[in-house]
Amino acid sequence: MTPEEKLQHLFAAAAAPARDPVFEAETALRVARRRAVASAAASIPLVVAGAALLWLLRPMIADLNLSVLNGAEVTAAAGVLATGAALVVARQVLRG
Amino acid sequence: MTDAELARAARDGSDAAFARIVARHQGAVRSFLRRMCAGGREDADDLAQEVFLAAWANLGRLRELSGLRAWLLGIAWRKAQDRIRRGVRTAARETAWSQQVVSPLGISAEDRIALAQAMAGLSPVVRACIALCVADGWSHAEAAQALSLPIGTVKSHVARGRARLLAALGGPDDT
Repeated sequence: MTPEEKLQHLFAAAAAPARDPVFEAETALRVARRRAVASAAASIPLVVAGAALLWLLRPMIADLNLSVLNGAEVTAAAGVLATGAALVVARQVLRG
Repeated sequence: MTDAELARAARDGSDAAFARIVARHQGAVRSFLRRMCAGGREDADDLAQEVFLAAWANLGRLRELSGLRAWLLGIAWRKAQDRIRRGVRTAARETAWSQQVVSPLGISAEDRIALAQAMAGLSPVVRACIALCVADGWSHAEAAQALSLPIGTVKSHVARGRARLLAALGGPDDT
């Protein structure tokens, strides 16, 4: 066997297979994770903007003098809103 | 589908198209990285996944869609350079290379080790040219595109590197 043939045979022996479903699946998984993180990150500005808007509107909401609501009800309403926001973000993450 | 069609579809958000790109080009990217990097097959494959992640994130920047393979190998080359710069020692590279390769029939373990040591002795850019043009049969032009080198430089690197590898395997040393 000539040195040139040895070289080609040794290189061929070290080559990756033409198809590798395990590698392809692992790569797809990492892409999906990256997409999920990107989706969650993309929703952060919306959440921040929403929080800022609520903060700005706080005096107006206070002026409404919603005497019907007591502290517990306000807390419950805030909890519902927070849960809804978390579900929206989680849905985006899981969809990725 | 052609590479250009797949790249266009993947850029438009098709996961199936991107999966086909990975399936089509994983062999070339992984083989290249196995020849370039220390740390064995697992490290090279992990780096190959990073290459495809970077490709997925930057598909929008790919101008010439038909040049997808060279573009992917260009990313692989830059990642391999980063990995090499992060302090990979020659001894580790020699060991990794020799462990990766199973001797084909008719080739001695001495030849296998000699090739490993000769590959480790090449500079990264010469090794990259050898990996693409000699090991994987790329044209000089395509390798030049992937490695962002002048074609004349690729030709000279290939000639010099091949001579050193052949000398290590018992051929004439014409360097």
